[in-house]
Amino acid sequence: METVDVFKNGSEVSLEQVLDNREWRSAKQTKLENGFPRATIVAVKLNLPGNVKNSAKIQQFFNAGWRILLASLNGWPIQSIELDISRPTGPEGFVVVSKDINRVKQVAIRFEESFPLGRFFDSDVMAKEAEGYQLSRQELGFEARRCFVCDENAKACAKAGRHSFDELRQAVNHTYEQYFVQDPFLPYWDERSVVEAATFACLAEVVTNPKPGLVDPVSMGAHDDMDVDTFIDSSLALQPYFKECITAGRTFKKEQLTELLALIRPAGLAAEQAMKVATNGVNTHKGAIFTLGILIAAYGYCTQDQKSTTLSFVQKAVSAMGAHLLLENEKVADRSSQELTAGQVQYQKYRLAGVRGEVYEGLVPLSDVALPALRKSEGTTNERLLDTLMAIAAAITDSTLVKRAGDPAINQEMIAWVAEFQKLGGAQTSAGMTFLSHLDQTFISRHLSIGGAADYLILTAFIARLMGLI
Amino acid sequence: MEIKQTAMAGTLESSDLQIVLSQGTKGIEFDLTSDVAKQFGNDIKATIKSVLDAYDIENASVKVVDKGALTPVIKARAITAAQRALDLKDQPNWEVL
Repeated sequence: METVDVFKNGSEVSLEQVLDNREWRSAKQTKLENGFPRATIVAVKLNLPGNVKNSAKIQQFFNAGWRILLASLNGWPIQSIELDISRPTGPEGFVVVSKDINRVKQVAIRFEESFPLGRFFDSDVMAKEAEGYQLSRQELGFEARRCFVCDENAKACAKAGRHSFDELRQAVNHTYEQYFVQDPFLPYWDERSVVEAATFACLAEVVTNPKPGLVDPVSMGAHDDMDVDTFIDSSLALQPYFKECITAGRTFKKEQLTELLALIRPAGLAAEQAMKVATNGVNTHKGAIFTLGILIAAYGYCTQDQKSTTLSFVQKAVSAMGAHLLLENEKVADRSSQELTAGQVQYQKYRLAGVRGEVYEGLVPLSDVALPALRKSEGTTNERLLDTLMAIAAAITDSTLVKRAGDPAINQEMIAWVAEFQKLGGAQTSAGMTFLSHLDQTFISRHLSIGGAADYLILTAFIARLMGLI
Repeated sequence: MEIKQTAMAGTLESSDLQIVLSQGTKGIEFDLTSDVAKQFGNDIKATIKSVLDAYDIENASVKVVDKGALTPVIKARAITAAQRALDLKDQPNWEVL
């Protein structure tokens, strides 16, 4: 089990900086109150022990909660949103919403109470019309805030100085581990947010660059019939399908999850049609239609009745949905190769189970390889997704790559390329980026492409979006 | 030293303290509000007084609203208020800390 240090690589701040920042925040709040005298203001920050208030992981921590809180305010008229995620004294956000202060305060307290990272958030609610007005949690029917180490009344604990600095930091690290590492937490999101996350994932994959052999905004890679615009058209055309998948998962009431797969398959075929119409017949997202659709439906199933879930539950549901998929591979074994997909042909030729096998096993590389890589990479979103893509490419048997190379031995070469990329320091180093550009050229000249890894990157970006990791 | 202008430092957030320094004539006069005034009122005043002494401020009206600040915070807020009141702004008297 890896040990996590949320505060690693963070810069230290002095007491003066923290105190100056309080004055800055207070002035900021007054300014917002005067600018929006009839609205309610929510000031969001983290409550972390010690003199390191910002780091890559602290930003992940804040982002996950910030997104949830924004979503829960989203039904009301929002007047202004400001976010300063890289502030040295810690990420801060301000939301101004035209809604009664009591209602907003309830949302804020519920967020602090029920969201797993909520205890480390301070979401102060204020309004000019209700100046000096401090509605306590008890008056709204909530318990007083509890200590994040021992669960006792937090104020009493703080006053008595009951916990050492190390204990407090360990509590933060432990919470991070539970949410992001051990079994990634997936909050409940409404259908619109899920469709947005899936669309985001498709678009995030195609704009990441430079990807070896794949289409990105700068290059068509080793493809001659599609470019970035083709992928944008295709991503947008899939939105009705994503909607059908989440609805199917949320409303499915039968016992056998294989029936949930059967339920979304006609929608999947219709989505392939929609993709072909949008791209003039090019196969941009065929693999993703299959795996992402299943993943969305499985997430929907696990979050029925507004429950939150975790990745392992979703993966179990994926696996249960795909329980009969390997039998399909057997059934096609005697069909002529013209009617078959790349995966099916490879099953005939090399007995590689392909994407059906991946689903059958529950998309294991998501939790084992892809999300850990994304979590550990600390650069821009583009750099993080490149590090993740390469980690995936080394870990899976990519049916597109095998098809292009005409030989499963290409996997060994891929593993060696990824090892070299990682040895150079990954996408955050200029050596790593130069290596990727050269690898892209190699792929183009050898007509290679890692389409399977790209599909996994889409799945990863989707789950990461739901978690708030990206 | 004479106070040149009324100055404020700190906020009303929990575990902070707000201090307003203005001109006075009869020594250091405190007006303290704190939930823990009974137990810690004299400590808070003594901490602020020591800062004012270090700046040679002999006459001042000191309005304090304490929200449970720890001693280093009280000290830092008092220093900032003194700096601002004496119009020294950017050169804190580090020896006070």
